[in-house]
Amino acid sequence: MKTIDTKGLKCPHPLIMVKEGLLGLEAGEVLKVEIDNDTSLKNLVSFLRDQGVEPEVTSSGKVHTLVTTVPEAALDIIDAAAYCSSDDSARDYAVCIKSELMGEGDPELGRILMETFVESLKLQDQLPTHVILYNGGVKLAMKQSPVCAALAELEELGIRVMLCGTCIDHYGLQMDIGVGMISNMVVITETLASAGHVVTP
Amino acid sequence: MGTKFDLLSTVEDGGCSAKLPAGLLSEMLSKLPVSDDPRLLVDVDTHDDAGVYKINEEVALIFTTDFFPPICSDAFEFGEVAAANALSDVFAMGGTPLMALNLMMFSQEKIPLEVFAEILKGGHSKVKEAGALVVGGHTIDDHPPKFGLAVVGTVHPDQLITNAGATPGDLLVLTKFLGTGALVSGMKNSFCHAADYKRALDQMKHLNRKGAELAVKYGVSSMTDITGFGLAGHALKMAEASQVSFRMRTAQLPLLPGAYQVFEKGSIPGAAFRNLEFTGSQVHFTRGVSYTMKMLVHDAQTSGGLLMSVNPDHANRLVHELNELDPLAGGAIVGEVLKKSPRAIYYE
Repeated sequence: MKTIDTKGLKCPHPLIMVKEGLLGLEAGEVLKVEIDNDTSLKNLVSFLRDQGVEPEVTSSGKVHTLVTTVPEAALDIIDAAAYCSSDDSARDYAVCIKSELMGEGDPELGRILMETFVESLKLQDQLPTHVILYNGGVKLAMKQSPVCAALAELEELGIRVMLCGTCIDHYGLQMDIGVGMISNMVVITETLASAGHVVTP
Repeated sequence: MGTKFDLLSTVEDGGCSAKLPAGLLSEMLSKLPVSDDPRLLVDVDTHDDAGVYKINEEVALIFTTDFFPPICSDAFEFGEVAAANALSDVFAMGGTPLMALNLMMFSQEKIPLEVFAEILKGGHSKVKEAGALVVGGHTIDDHPPKFGLAVVGTVHPDQLITNAGATPGDLLVLTKFLGTGALVSGMKNSFCHAADYKRALDQMKHLNRKGAELAVKYGVSSMTDITGFGLAGHALKMAEASQVSFRMRTAQLPLLPGAYQVFEKGSIPGAAFRNLEFTGSQVHFTRGVSYTMKMLVHDAQTSGGLLMSVNPDHANRLVHELNELDPLAGGAIVGEVLKKSPRAIYYE
């Protein structure tokens, strides 16, 4: 376990030292940071949480000890440019949901299938970049929808949930939206056209 | 000049990053009584840049103030930056500054008096450049020093541009590069080239005058200036005041050279974390946006650019004209206005 002593230093130095320290480490290794500045500690925790790890903090007097596993993301691989030009871009996909129901036949079955489909999206190794909802599909993003929480979870993971604004207006759902960015056909078309591929349930 | 007094030696937090956290400020302001005087065209309610008072059908008065501790070492330059920053609030409403008062906190026991004179001279030069007059001021003994202006300007009531008029379908234009907070931090910690810091300083001294003139010319629907709450914070206030949401593309954001590298090394000022805390769940980032970029949109700007909501038919021409006429401008289309969605800002 590597230890970084930032005692006596103020913001932004502890974060600079931790970022430097992370460079020599592999994801999953354990890093310990000693810190005696409350603001710097708060900022450091904010940084680490953003990278997807939850550091443990113990305090004795004014000195805090922070222990964290090394997050993968901290090595800043997910840089905007790198992300766009990655080899994975061909595997990138947008999910396009056109209706509340999945498949044709029994509507009750269609409803259950769609719920399971949306729930299972977050379990994929390769997450979609966008989930686009139009026509009856927008109803899935309403507060009362059984999959609203699942869509919100996808949004938390950094997936863009996009709603067709015309459809929201058509169904008079302006007041009921639970999750997603209201969009227009220009943006939806552009997103579908530039997606690696489109998955439609 | 001999040994010059280094103003930065007096402060830890400088420039707009010395602001109180936005959340705390909103909470306190909400406890004050609001006036329903019809002559008040803009009050604190929408967290706009200045108060605006309608005198008659032709003239409305814009009234604003801003001051802060040193953001750079040189006294004259600090005066210029502080003045450009204070004048910007008048420009951000589409107005013309007329008069300014100096607001100075300065301890002559701790700092040579020439520094005082230099700060005022720097401020004066910017007020003059803006076409306005310095008509007095007020000084009290305090350390570290602080300087700024109270500014009065005017605008035709019909041409007033608030932060509450952004309309779905508009494009979002930003007129200066982002990253002044990053480069000030980078300079202090030797993480950036002197030339990059100088560029940031030049931009902070630069008036938002040309951008504001073009905003009036093209009749933009909404405008604000980007200062201490960062792009994310001020965009949030504008989206909320306008009751819309913004979609912003980080790849299109004009960044000062070197700013990204400073933040990537972790030299991120506390103000950016305070701003991040303030915007919270109102701002969403897609997976492709790096941590560094996320913090840059929260970087506190000193005398930052104007953020405008522009009719899509005019946006390209406005940006082109601005970059043509104003060599220091960093005009770019950075996003679009959407109907009000669950969150205020969507970055990708």
